[in-house]
Amino acid sequence: MTDTQSTRASTAADLTIVTAEGVLFRMPLAGPASRLYAMLLDTAIVLGAVNGVGLLVYWIFARAPGFGFMVITLAEFAIGFAYSALLEGFWNGQTIGKRLFHLRVIDQDGLPLRIEQAWVRNLMRVVDALPFAYLVGGLSLLSSPLMQRFGDRVAGALVVRQTPLAAPVEEFWMRQKYNSFMDYPAIAMKLRRAATPELATLIQDALRRRNELAVYARREIYRELATYLQSEISPFPDELVERLSDEQYLINASGVLFADQRRSRVQG
Amino acid sequence: MILDLERFQAQARPRWYELESLLTALESRPDRRLNPTEAERLQELYAQVAADLNRVTHGALAHELRQYLERLVARAYAELYYAPPTRSEIWQPRRWLRIFTAFPETFRRQARYFAFAVLITLLGCALGGLSVRYDPASVDVLLPADYLRNPGQRVHEEEQGQGRHLDSAQTEAAFSAQLIRHNIEVALLAAALGVTFGIGTALLLFENGVLLGAVAVHYTQQGFGLFMTAWLLPHGVFEIPSILIAGQAGFYLAQLLLRRREDRNVRKSMRDWLVLVAGLALMLVWAGFMEAFFSQHHAPVLPYGFKVAVAAAELVLLTIYLVMIGRRDIDVDARSSIPSEN
Repeated sequence: MTDTQSTRASTAADLTIVTAEGVLFRMPLAGPASRLYAMLLDTAIVLGAVNGVGLLVYWIFARAPGFGFMVITLAEFAIGFAYSALLEGFWNGQTIGKRLFHLRVIDQDGLPLRIEQAWVRNLMRVVDALPFAYLVGGLSLLSSPLMQRFGDRVAGALVVRQTPLAAPVEEFWMRQKYNSFMDYPAIAMKLRRAATPELATLIQDALRRRNELAVYARREIYRELATYLQSEISPFPDELVERLSDEQYLINASGVLFADQRRSRVQG
Repeated sequence: MILDLERFQAQARPRWYELESLLTALESRPDRRLNPTEAERLQELYAQVAADLNRVTHGALAHELRQYLERLVARAYAELYYAPPTRSEIWQPRRWLRIFTAFPETFRRQARYFAFAVLITLLGCALGGLSVRYDPASVDVLLPADYLRNPGQRVHEEEQGQGRHLDSAQTEAAFSAQLIRHNIEVALLAAALGVTFGIGTALLLFENGVLLGAVAVHYTQQGFGLFMTAWLLPHGVFEIPSILIAGQAGFYLAQLLLRRREDRNVRKSMRDWLVLVAGLALMLVWAGFMEAFFSQHHAPVLPYGFKVAVAAAELVLLTIYLVMIGRRDIDVDARSSIPSEN
């Protein structure tokens, strides 16, 4: 039911789920670095919590330091395990550190983590942390196709990356009433044929991030892209191109690539 | 570039948004329950969006769109196939108190792994005991701590109450916490080392057995058998079985991992491992308190006979608990063959 397969041009692995109905979807697995950062942050939070408890306990047990020490030792021990187990179990597979680094622990079959799994994978830390600095866990993770440490393997869990994704919206360049490139259907078709998915995505991203780019960078990037398209892919007539800004060129090209052909043709 | 992306998106976007809002609504509900209409709608939308995803995947055009749809399908899949426990279930005290009956039940169900743990420990005891008996020189190797090597001096110190502060309850409290923590760590390690297919667990138990056997024979040889019994048993009757149960959990885990490929229900079987670990942790809390507050008091204060009697009473109670409490007739096959549908 589970399988791995690497995505193009990246070293990251995916969890591939094929459901009983034959639906196939993938979830990107989290790498060791982001997991380490999340763990360090969680450790800091636990230490903070333990010290907070410690101060409180010292204040309460000011006259009985021995009992205070007992409470702190046991609380520290319990918090150390319970923090991750309870948060992962009841908070959608995420600790505070995991949430900030966009990580989530899930069941190996793509389902939410069960409470028992959360406890098992966190209690198994005693093995993964051996002999120091999570060496065993790290080696296990690097040698595992699903990037699992021993705790994950035993619990049947794994950690996925879950970067926030915005819902797809209608982009402004798809709404343009008139696209002058459509007056040259042969060249437009050439562009549609020749553009690779990477190039199409690149053009779209360049337009989408218009306002995130500094003015000079935007001018430079748009110029390079437009020049490349014009000279290598789709030579539209010079008298048309001369009247267009580089940005408008890319908007038109993007319209050719992504927009509804029929409607444009009716209008054009 | 075959797929007409914009037209496709314009047509499909309403159902993506509908699925997304349905999922968001569901995920924010405490019980995550669906009414029949919603369930039907979710199933429908899931199928449609999965088909959309399929088209985008084959088009290989819009990376972000594909990720968005994959995320949506994954969320719908999770809602359709998994019902998390409701909040009211989680906070029921009865659910948490069930550990007290589940522990002995699980202990009995997996008793053969306990027997194996006992066997390994006994082998260790035999080796430790025989070594000390027939090769006194091995004492230095087997018993690293000084106080274990010189029973006479230790007994004298203990009975004089040397090294004790005036405010002994305070020291004992601190001592008990350290003991509890250390013992639980060791026991947890023994249970978790099941991932080494039980080899790590076996080594730990064996080593523990050697130490136990060596100390027992060494003290008895020197004529401090009664002192040792009174010193070790009040907490030992909980501590030693709990380490054995840790071994039981470790071997159980090893066995689960060995037959993982055939058994898809392995994650449900992990519950037994957890119950054993939780139970032994509770036992070690008791053992820690006994060791700090009771075991360290010796003859003038507490007569040895009394200490041994307390230990015996504890052992009887523990045995009754582990053997008698909970349901007596657990139909193992019937239980494990019912797939729990959540």
